[in-house]
Amino acid sequence: MNYGPLLFLAAFFALASSWCGFVLAPQLQVGRLQQTNTLSGGATYPVARSGLAQQGLQVYRANGCAACHSQQVRQSGTVCDVMLTEAGTNELAVISALLRLKCGSPLTETERQAVSTGAGERAPPVMVFTEQDARGMLTRLPQRVRQGLTKPEADAAVKELTAAGAKAQTWIVPVGPDIARGWGRRRTVAEDFLFDYPVMPGEQRVGPDLANVGVRLPDPNWHLRHLYAPGTYEKASTMPPYRFLFEKRKVRQEPSPDALVLPPELAPEPGYEIVPKPAAIALAAYLTSLRADAPLYVAPLTVAPPAAPATNAPVASGATNAAPGAPAAK
Amino acid sequence: MSPEASEPAPTTPERAEPKAGPRAVPVFLLILLLGIVYGGMIYFDRASGWFDPQVYAPYHSASELALYQPPTGGLDLSRGKTVYDNICALCHNTDGTGKPNQAPPFVGSDWVLGSPNRMIRIPLVGLAGSVMVKDQQWNLAMPAMGAALSDDDLAAVLSYIRQSWGNKASVITPEQVKAVRAEIGNRTQPWSAQELEAIH
Amino acid sequence: MSEAQLSGPLPAEAAEADASSRPVLFLIFLGAACWAVLGSLFALVASIKFHAPSFLAAPAWLTYGRVEPAWRNCLLYGFCIQAGLGVALWLLARLGRTRVAMPGLVLIGTLLWNTGVIAGVGGVLWGDSTGFPSLEMPGYAAWLLMLGYLLIGLSGVLTFHARRERQLFVSQWFIFAALFWFPWIYATAELLLVTSPVRGAAQVAISAFYQASLGTVWLPLVGLAAAFYFIPKLAQRDLHSRYLALLVFWMVILVGGWTGIGNGAPLPAWMPAMSTVATMLLAVPLIAVALNVHRTLAGRWAGLKAEPALAFVFAGTLGLLLAWVLKMALAGADVRLPIHLTWLTPALEQLNTYGFFALVMFGAAYAVLPQVAQTEFPSRLLLWLHFWLAVSGVALMVVPLGAAGAVEAMRLQDPATPFMAVVKSSLPFLRASTTGDLLLLLAHCVFLLNVAGLAVRFYRPRAVSAYADATAELPLVEANP
Repeated sequence: MNYGPLLFLAAFFALASSWCGFVLAPQLQVGRLQQTNTLSGGATYPVARSGLAQQGLQVYRANGCAACHSQQVRQSGTVCDVMLTEAGTNELAVISALLRLKCGSPLTETERQAVSTGAGERAPPVMVFTEQDARGMLTRLPQRVRQGLTKPEADAAVKELTAAGAKAQTWIVPVGPDIARGWGRRRTVAEDFLFDYPVMPGEQRVGPDLANVGVRLPDPNWHLRHLYAPGTYEKASTMPPYRFLFEKRKVRQEPSPDALVLPPELAPEPGYEIVPKPAAIALAAYLTSLRADAPLYVAPLTVAPPAAPATNAPVASGATNAAPGAPAAK
Repeated sequence: MSPEASEPAPTTPERAEPKAGPRAVPVFLLILLLGIVYGGMIYFDRASGWFDPQVYAPYHSASELALYQPPTGGLDLSRGKTVYDNICALCHNTDGTGKPNQAPPFVGSDWVLGSPNRMIRIPLVGLAGSVMVKDQQWNLAMPAMGAALSDDDLAAVLSYIRQSWGNKASVITPEQVKAVRAEIGNRTQPWSAQELEAIH
Repeated sequence: MSEAQLSGPLPAEAAEADASSRPVLFLIFLGAACWAVLGSLFALVASIKFHAPSFLAAPAWLTYGRVEPAWRNCLLYGFCIQAGLGVALWLLARLGRTRVAMPGLVLIGTLLWNTGVIAGVGGVLWGDSTGFPSLEMPGYAAWLLMLGYLLIGLSGVLTFHARRERQLFVSQWFIFAALFWFPWIYATAELLLVTSPVRGAAQVAISAFYQASLGTVWLPLVGLAAAFYFIPKLAQRDLHSRYLALLVFWMVILVGGWTGIGNGAPLPAWMPAMSTVATMLLAVPLIAVALNVHRTLAGRWAGLKAEPALAFVFAGTLGLLLAWVLKMALAGADVRLPIHLTWLTPALEQLNTYGFFALVMFGAAYAVLPQVAQTEFPSRLLLWLHFWLAVSGVALMVVPLGAAGAVEAMRLQDPATPFMAVVKSSLPFLRASTTGDLLLLLAHCVFLLNVAGLAVRFYRPRAVSAYADATAELPLVEANP
């Protein structure tokens, strides 16, 4: 009896199984992804990067930046905060609701964990022990009155506050060490890479994650100086200088507007200037275009409504949070 | 025990090729295999979202993901905008300011900012006859949209109207639309302004 | 044993098989040794850059992001796959009691393959990398590689077809599947990632599939084919169990390709979940390999001390077991900790390629080459030197990287630790791993020396006599070494 062909077929199917699972299926599911809408405002997401940034992506690829930098923010969980926006007319009822809900009371263990791993950009909750504190809380609205709840808990709290005549909302807050570090507001999903080729999520974090570096460090000139001399921002940085992306040339009649502004120890001798080559400018444009933080259905989060004065707060505080780490070894 | 390649002269004939013995696979290994498959299925069931392309870790299932969507209150008006731009904007203008001799404005209108119950009724079967909007008399016929738009779409577009161009009224939920629809039954005759003013 | 001895190939057949593969095997192993040396030079440069970022930073082609993939590609394509193909061909001929079919094809294929690696590594250094890990070599090199592989593979399939021994040994299963698997995955990856790329994050899935299919299917198939043959052969035993070996075979081809997608990948949850389950299933082949090797060697452990080839193959097999244990541990821990973005990932990769595959291939080369050349290596001491350099090099590279990764993973968990502090805490470990890189460079030089020494020892008398023939125009008795 010759089992050869049968065995050959069996081996073929065994090998084909993983091919179907991780080549065919992803192509059918993820490869056909279309643009989607963000949760707030319904803007189209993602939009293609500018032509310059796309050239910069090729510089990023050619120089193997992905060998040291990942572009994948991880999220270990999602918690809910209760955001009190308006106290309404019946202040007493709201205060008693706040006290009943133990708003801002010393954190429970789970809350503490959620906050310690995910509260990088969030203000510490105000402690409410007495009616006095609750009254004080109402003077500083909008205010996160409870943090780190599950969705049903938060919804119940919101309902109770609403019943007391106040206006409150459940805020969806992704948490995790990466997010606490200021590397992003939510996890990275397939949509973030829709228009990129090649997609380089990276394998390692020798340097910081870059998924949202354009949010943290939106200034292309920062990136140019950093590429030229990483040591200027962080002395112990292990990032190699990319001087081959720059040229040193004689100042003609007027200094070039693109010339780097460098500290004296790095500046070239008088009469010369350091000018980024087109590749460096493109790379900086690509880096500043990296912002994968729009709230999406697949990765929900609540962002401050655009009209509120706190619009820029998450971005700004995210940047300051990232400051100790971000310039580090980039 | 002398190693083969070292001692014999290079020209010595080859030793025999090894054969593979016939010992069976130990049973514990097969049990382990079944155990891992079983545990793996439990893990997969819990963590995978069953091949749903929208479920990413840390979410475990489509229903959990749906639960963690931010409340739409005032946040997601995109659907309403789409419906508005396609249908309402023809007469009421894209910025809700209305068009002379076609339709009254929405911006700052009491009909819009007032009771949801009243507002929901208007698109369901339409409005005919004379009506006062922002101190101006209009005498036109608003066609019925109830058959053309679902509860979800109506809720979305009404919420959009109540929250756009400076309007700041509460959102309208599909449930509210459904309730009103049930209340008016199979009426097809358009409302008059007097009838609506009686509703709060 | 006695039965085995009876059914062995006739010496004449063995000699015939060996003679047919001799020139190509020398070519393949010399080529592989050169790539290993070049690769570890790149590795050393890349490693030094961590302690001195401005070391060789001026020329674009020596920047870390180019040198690092150049090293990995030299090692994978230049050394691992090339040596693997050489050993596979020899095993197919030997186990089939036949000669290597159409050695001319293999010769051309090997030349094409090496040209491809030259073009590919050159392309990476030039800045033409594709950006996909383990697949960095640009499209123009891929054509050469593919063609070269197909020619060599064709010869392999024909050799298998022409076998005179109808009874299959387990190694033939492994090799036969591997011969087909590489063009399949390579063509898939090249077509869908480079030639006409798929859209968006689907690239991430396909790239992960390719990496796993190469590292967890192809390398184990070929490496275990060699281990399951050379361990019993060199220990003068039969392989303990054919069924355990076949269990390994089926598990690896069924499960291996599913193991590549990490938990943080920007892909729907079912893909990493599936990968985690598949990785856990590796426990079964892992135990099966361990049992089979242990029982085969039971009572013959002294052979390890006497025979460097056996020591190499055994150490390599141990490396595979460790790599799979580490892989399972990472997959399990990664569900909670973002562990796969740390130094543990390269530690695992290098354990798999150096600690397992390269070591097995060194052992196979040391077992095969003296037979095909009918000549001993010039110095056994150098073989042992190579062994100890390679093993300590692998250990010194992998252990510190793993430790660095573990520290990094734990410190990254705490957002209060500044990122720079995390980087600093991994530097001492990286220093140790640079020593490992240095030892491996020395080891590869010794390997090149050994193979070249044997080639010289074999060809020199023949060359001398041919030269004498040609100049003296007198018939001479062929000189024996």
